[in-house]
Amino acid sequence: MRTDTLLEKLCEIDAIAGFEASASDEIKKYFEQYCDKVWVDTFYNVIAYKKGSSKNGKKIMITAHYDQIGMIVSGYEKNGFLRVSNLGGIDMKALLAREVTVRGKKDIFGVIGAKPPHLFSSDEMKKNVKLTDLFIDTGLPDEELKETVVVGDPVSINSPFVRMINGCVAGRNLDNRCGVAACVLALEKLKNSEHENDVYVIATVQEEAGLIGAISSSHNIEPDIAVVIDVCHGDMPDADKASTFALGKGVPVGVGPAFNRKFTEQLLEIADREGIPTQLCVEAGNPGTEAWAIQVSGMGIAVVEVCIPLRYMHTGAELVNLGDVDIASALVAKFAAGRTVIPSKEDADDSDIN
Amino acid sequence: MIELVRELAGTYGPSGREDEIRDVIRKNISGKVDELYTDTLGNLIAVKKGNGKRIMLAAHMDEIGVVATYIEENGFIRFSNIGGVSPVFSLGQRVRFANGVCGCVCYEEKLKELKDLKFPRMFIDIGTNSREETMEYVSPGDIAVFEADTIEQNGKYISKALDDRIGCAVLIDLIRQIKEVKNEVVFVFTVQEEVGLRGAGTAAYALMPDLAIAVDVTNTGDTPRCNPLSIELGKGAAVMIKDGRTISHPLVKNKLIDLAKRFDIQYQLEVIEKGGNDAGSIHTTAGGIPSGAVSIPCRYMHSPCEMVDIGDVKSAVNLLKAFILSEF
Repeated sequence: MRTDTLLEKLCEIDAIAGFEASASDEIKKYFEQYCDKVWVDTFYNVIAYKKGSSKNGKKIMITAHYDQIGMIVSGYEKNGFLRVSNLGGIDMKALLAREVTVRGKKDIFGVIGAKPPHLFSSDEMKKNVKLTDLFIDTGLPDEELKETVVVGDPVSINSPFVRMINGCVAGRNLDNRCGVAACVLALEKLKNSEHENDVYVIATVQEEAGLIGAISSSHNIEPDIAVVIDVCHGDMPDADKASTFALGKGVPVGVGPAFNRKFTEQLLEIADREGIPTQLCVEAGNPGTEAWAIQVSGMGIAVVEVCIPLRYMHTGAELVNLGDVDIASALVAKFAAGRTVIPSKEDADDSDIN
Repeated sequence: MIELVRELAGTYGPSGREDEIRDVIRKNISGKVDELYTDTLGNLIAVKKGNGKRIMLAAHMDEIGVVATYIEENGFIRFSNIGGVSPVFSLGQRVRFANGVCGCVCYEEKLKELKDLKFPRMFIDIGTNSREETMEYVSPGDIAVFEADTIEQNGKYISKALDDRIGCAVLIDLIRQIKEVKNEVVFVFTVQEEVGLRGAGTAAYALMPDLAIAVDVTNTGDTPRCNPLSIELGKGAAVMIKDGRTISHPLVKNKLIDLAKRFDIQYQLEVIEKGGNDAGSIHTTAGGIPSGAVSIPCRYMHSPCEMVDIGDVKSAVNLLKAFILSEF
């Protein structure tokens, strides 16, 4: 499947953080095309397993979260309005004047109202938007609304998937369906290649709600190495250069205390050898991704991270470059298939000193 | 039930000092369960044996309090908080240390505005005149809890420490009511919830239940000019959908809602932004334990006059009873 078609289909799936149950089977189908053994665990993580050729193969776990940010109904107001709370770190100001779908007994179309600027007081002009200021206007009579929607129903943002002329696509849920797409494409590449290591590709849940899927997966799989695929911030005219990355200029690879140095170096060497361009994504502490939870699971897990630059994160108009998704998948596939050298105990001690 | 609530709420037991409250709970349930033991961190674990699913019900037995940090030369005690203590709620209150010594919580008189009221500018007075005299009763590290009676009035319980002794009372009531269960039900009275959900996680790790429910209190949105919140006193037990730590697992929350409907138990749905309960640490334990919570709506949480509705408490008991007796 072409990357844009794959990504479009993945972005259409609704898997709001904590409400992935209904979406897990759809994700499973994409993995099943390239993998014999795929299952869904208690928390709705989707796990694809490809056995390695060597008896001494190590376990490599590749994760990309498939949950998306959204909202959750927290109460009713009169005249068909709903109050909402957030699921994941949603950008409030990007919610103004958005169309949404309330997932009640049936799907209800709604809009998030925005008070017109004409009606702002001078104080309001300066203030940021709070979630408590936002209401979903469903247009339904109160009785009917209460029959259809209950407190706790999830709400997703409506937004079309748009192909842009420069090889980019824009829309909702690209964080982190582009990572899931990279997983599917990596599995496709691994299908016909020999690899020594056992590979577990996992689409994880509830990353946006506290890395829940990464915590449960790493405990269950107990991998020797983990590769996290997630988005990083794309370059924007008004943003800090050090924390944003150019689109279409190479795969940002995570560097910092969260990431295992030896394997990160191996990852960069493989990229060099294969002619895959990279950038360095420096994270001084918590990178805000699953890597942070996986690293301290059990007795500790060596983690590396492959990023895809994405502009306008946690809005309904996220934007990524399709080429970045392709090269991220190529790098991950090569890393998983490569003869990954697991450091011996002495090496491990050595790397501690470094 | 008021006697039980009064006994539980009136017993000393701040986070990390749960010995006394644990003894009181043990006394109330001993002989009524198949196994009863205390783990390393101090969680009290009571098991009703069965062959079905293993269900963990967790109510924390610790309460908020204040800890002495420094004794002034003239005998006044400087203190810090154990758990989410509000300086405003503490002001003018009485506190009691483990040895029974009481103190008054006061503030430096030069303080001009209420917003400047922070613990470093407050102190506890136990009526002594010198450091030496104070040290005979209280040393740095000693923890005190707030003092207040437990009363029943207009269908409500009003007391200190209903968070979460009311949850403990619910679990004790269940233990007394239930003779035989198909599922294996593990009642856990957890420690150190108020300082970061510390006890529940380790208990869950040792027990590895199939499902878990935290039984705790939750805030309401039914007082004058309060923040909007769809929880009211007297409208039934709250089935938690989401709090600041957890999005309840569908297996648990859907089952609770179905049972409430089927047995006509009054319930409400809880979606809150901040705060968490024991479910937060249980559900991320090991490879994940499907968890949720049944909450008892409570006004003025973390104050010495917390208020819950007796009908809501009964709803919580009935709902949890239906849950542990049902098949999975």
